[in-house]
Amino acid sequence: MRRAVPVVLLVVVAVIDWPAEVVDFGDRLAPPSPAHLLGTDVLGRDVLARVLGGVRWSLGLGLLALVVATAVGTASGLASGWWPGHPLGRGVQAVVDVLVALPALLVGLVVAAVLGPGLAPALLAVVLTGWAPFARQAHRLTVAVRSEGWVLAATALGAGSGRVLGRHVLPAVASPLLAAVAARFAGTVLTLAGLSFLGLGVQPPTPEWGAMLAEGRTYVFVAPWLVAAPAAALVISTLALGWGTAQPSGSGARRYLGGSWPWRWRTK
Amino acid sequence: MIRSVRSLVLALAALLILAGCGTTAPADQGVRVALQFPPRAGYAFDADDGGLLTKLGVAEPLVGLDPQGSAVPGLATSWAREGDGRTWRFVLREGVVFHDGARLDSGAVVTALTSVLSRPTPPRSIADLGMRVEADGPGAVRVSTDAPDPVLPLRLSSGTTSVLSPAAYAAASSSGGQPSPQDTGTGPLRMTEIRGTQGATLLRHDGYWGPRAASSQVTVDYVTEPQTRELALRSGDVGFAEGLPETSRASLQADPDVTFSEYPSARTVLLQLNGSAAPFDDVRVRRAVTAALDRTALADQVLGGSAAPAADLFGPAVPYGMTTPPPDGDVPAAQALLAEAGYGPANPLRVRLWTFPNRPELPVLASAIAAQLEPAGIAVDITVGDYAAQEPELLAGRYDMFINSRSYLSDFPDPAGVLDSDYTCDGSYNIDRFCDPAFDATVAGLGALSDPAQRAEVFRAAAATLTANAVNVPLVHPQNTAAQRGVTGFTPDPLDLRPVLPTLAPTD
Amino acid sequence: MLGVALRRLAWIPPVLLVTSVAVFALPRLLGGEVTRSVIRARSASSTPDPAVEERLNRELGLDRPVVTQYLDWLGGALRGDLGTSFTTRSPVGPAVLEAAGVSAVLAALALALALAVGVPLGALAAGRPEGAADRATRWGGAVALAVPEFVLGPVLVLVVAVGLGWLPALGWGSPAQAVLPVLTLAAFPAALAARLVRAETAEVLGHASVRTARAKGLSPRRTLLVHVVPRALTSVTAGAGPFLGGTLGGAVVVEVVFAVPGLGRLLAEAVEDRDLPVIQAGLVVVVAVALLAALATELAQLAADPRLRS
Repeated sequence: MRRAVPVVLLVVVAVIDWPAEVVDFGDRLAPPSPAHLLGTDVLGRDVLARVLGGVRWSLGLGLLALVVATAVGTASGLASGWWPGHPLGRGVQAVVDVLVALPALLVGLVVAAVLGPGLAPALLAVVLTGWAPFARQAHRLTVAVRSEGWVLAATALGAGSGRVLGRHVLPAVASPLLAAVAARFAGTVLTLAGLSFLGLGVQPPTPEWGAMLAEGRTYVFVAPWLVAAPAAALVISTLALGWGTAQPSGSGARRYLGGSWPWRWRTK
Repeated sequence: MIRSVRSLVLALAALLILAGCGTTAPADQGVRVALQFPPRAGYAFDADDGGLLTKLGVAEPLVGLDPQGSAVPGLATSWAREGDGRTWRFVLREGVVFHDGARLDSGAVVTALTSVLSRPTPPRSIADLGMRVEADGPGAVRVSTDAPDPVLPLRLSSGTTSVLSPAAYAAASSSGGQPSPQDTGTGPLRMTEIRGTQGATLLRHDGYWGPRAASSQVTVDYVTEPQTRELALRSGDVGFAEGLPETSRASLQADPDVTFSEYPSARTVLLQLNGSAAPFDDVRVRRAVTAALDRTALADQVLGGSAAPAADLFGPAVPYGMTTPPPDGDVPAAQALLAEAGYGPANPLRVRLWTFPNRPELPVLASAIAAQLEPAGIAVDITVGDYAAQEPELLAGRYDMFINSRSYLSDFPDPAGVLDSDYTCDGSYNIDRFCDPAFDATVAGLGALSDPAQRAEVFRAAAATLTANAVNVPLVHPQNTAAQRGVTGFTPDPLDLRPVLPTLAPTD
Repeated sequence: MLGVALRRLAWIPPVLLVTSVAVFALPRLLGGEVTRSVIRARSASSTPDPAVEERLNRELGLDRPVVTQYLDWLGGALRGDLGTSFTTRSPVGPAVLEAAGVSAVLAALALALALAVGVPLGALAAGRPEGAADRATRWGGAVALAVPEFVLGPVLVLVVAVGLGWLPALGWGSPAQAVLPVLTLAAFPAALAARLVRAETAEVLGHASVRTARAKGLSPRRTLLVHVVPRALTSVTAGAGPFLGGTLGGAVVVEVVFAVPGLGRLLAEAVEDRDLPVIQAGLVVVVAVALLAALATELAQLAADPRLRS
């Protein structure tokens, strides 16, 4: 129950309409004060309001990209694991092998080269690289599960492939997959912020943390809080999202590395 | 194990300290500078790189410019119009020696200009004029155009018409490449090393015909990020940097080790309005927008004084520019105009505002403009996007408001080209969709005017017409900045067309 | 094992081919913005001129059918000619190679530093759980993993270059200029290496062989050095591929922040200018490197763990 508190809090913060775009020229680049706890930016906008308003964008968009990547990856991994010899599945596996190896920021550059910079291309880039590890993991898990007794029994009883996959295989692979999803959330958020920082993602005046960092970098001498606030928001949320809370066995890091560490994927 | 970690840390610390010592020692006698714009196309004259070579003091055109933007002798000492007015005769300076030792003569000039004219895309200062160049004896050339051109000498002040040694063109035609400025210019500085878009090394050209370069060596770093240029200056990596971030202005001005210069630029940030569709096809709505904006606040507060408020298309960088400040914002007047045009609380006006992020001040201005228009009753939706994707929409008139940054001089100090392309009915860059036959006739009349004073009068009148029709809202004129640290001799050039580096020298 | 390697290796050329087709065709099919972008990149002129555009199209060869253009490019690429940059008009191959060399040096230095710092720290931490080194590694590592390069870089510049004045703030070429970019880029893999080594070491410490060694009277430090660290290192070496992938991504940011003339910066600039030949070549190089790194990882894994060879 207690673990739900931060999540609820974040959702509340994301839903509230923070006055992130209220401009006050007269109060420009003001240092932190009781009126503006994190100071103001170049247009006199309250930095705290922008950081809070950024939760919706930075974390929300990260979640959106992650959900899409997970759905696509799981579906393709389930299918390729269920019909292992199918040429289509093998083709997908080959694509996955490539995508897993590509850094998301470089893919973002390429997508921007083709579609131009912007929110949609950035999301596309993150999904493009993000689905592959899930596909690989879902594939491995499905291959492991498909010869289990209860799955064979369900097939023997005449259930169709779709039914067996949905009713029996998916629930069995869901829990390790979900753990991987949680472990990737922080990485997804950082990648999106990185793309926005490079000017390829979310554009101003949207209060996205990476874009705010890029904006604030110009003012770092006169208003270091413009860099410090979004940077701290990013660091704190990635820490809190469990990036740094790996179990002593090191499985957190291994999950981050995803399918590239297959030799320890023991089914306990 | 512990010991090995400790020694590693020590080694790292030692490395840091050693590295630190390396940079504090003086590098050499010369000057190191951080410039804003790298060569775009390997110093090609048919890109804008000829202008860069002039700025560096490496290559020179036939005609020079004085600080007001009037033609003065360069590689040519005098010129005169001949006969039918379509031909100009330029007398070449005697005793000019290229960096490779060759002598300047009419053959070299013909080779150089013919080469650049025959490119697929000649520089815009001399393109599409039917320009021909021929020698008139060894010491003079004749330049003719299809139609009489009153500003031909000014056109030949463009750095894109600089003359390199004949050897450069010979090498280029045999290799299929483009002429290289390495050791082939005539300027006070000789380019001895080209480091791509990273930088270049320049040495003093002792055989220069004019005043000697102040420094024996200038090392050029092209640094595209303003922040990085500032850091390079502050950390002492370079002694001169241009285009500094707006926010560092105050601290650089206060720094006793730094000489900070600020000067106008021949550029206007415009709020362009789509005059071909509702709501901005109604002049009252355009005037309402103009009235609602407080341009002084935009320049002084939003941009922190890094720009001057614009009252007119042309600013203080040119003699015909407006120097009086624009009127203050007048929200009641704006509301009245909007009400006249049929907008108000019952029929609120909501418009889209587009801009692009390549110039970081534009998105900031967009937010500020939205905030200033709101009290007048205009709701603004901002989209910051990719210019390449916006341009076709803008030119087709499928937009409401657009913040653009436009230089009104290109390559040479005469704005007739911009007036023609941006504001005549058939102009190729007429984003505001302004069309007025009388205005077109005024611009066309410039083709027969050669007197600079008369031309200036026409430019002033044209700008006034645009302001009267509220065709767009000139918002601000950005200020150029430069800073010297341990370096003297910088002379600001609002036109951004004259040599900058030859006068720089270390202070000790 | 050789079979696996060959099979994987055989995949690389078709993948590169598909990548190049996608990168080649999509921007060209998406419209005539390329020419305008190139004009803007070359001359800062925003005034469109159809005649100029047509001439430039011809100069760039964009007026031909896309298929012809592609086959032309492919033929050249196979002969080692990657074409001419749209904006700089210099050959793409040498430019990409030079930039890739810079990136490789940057990444190699960062990875070397990461391993040199991360591996001993991780082993130290595992040797004494809950000791000072363990706690420092855990917390420092957690922060290093959470701080992206685009935060760490500017902070280092501010503190070390501006605040303390120890190091140059930008550029590339001298050893001093390399320190900050390398440190920025090394933080993440160093933390990751420390964490992995710590985890692996802890696991190996529980093994029978280690207990036997201890029982035979080997000192703890010797046990760690002889029996534990080599095994832990194997796993880290096997993980060098993903390290390299992550480092490549981080290098883009680091190169932009520190003005390092590497491949990431070259690509970022080419994207802005729509310099298609540079994008194509740079991308094919990046994909090839990433694939080879992944392949090397896989082989290292196979070598490290015979159970996978079935």
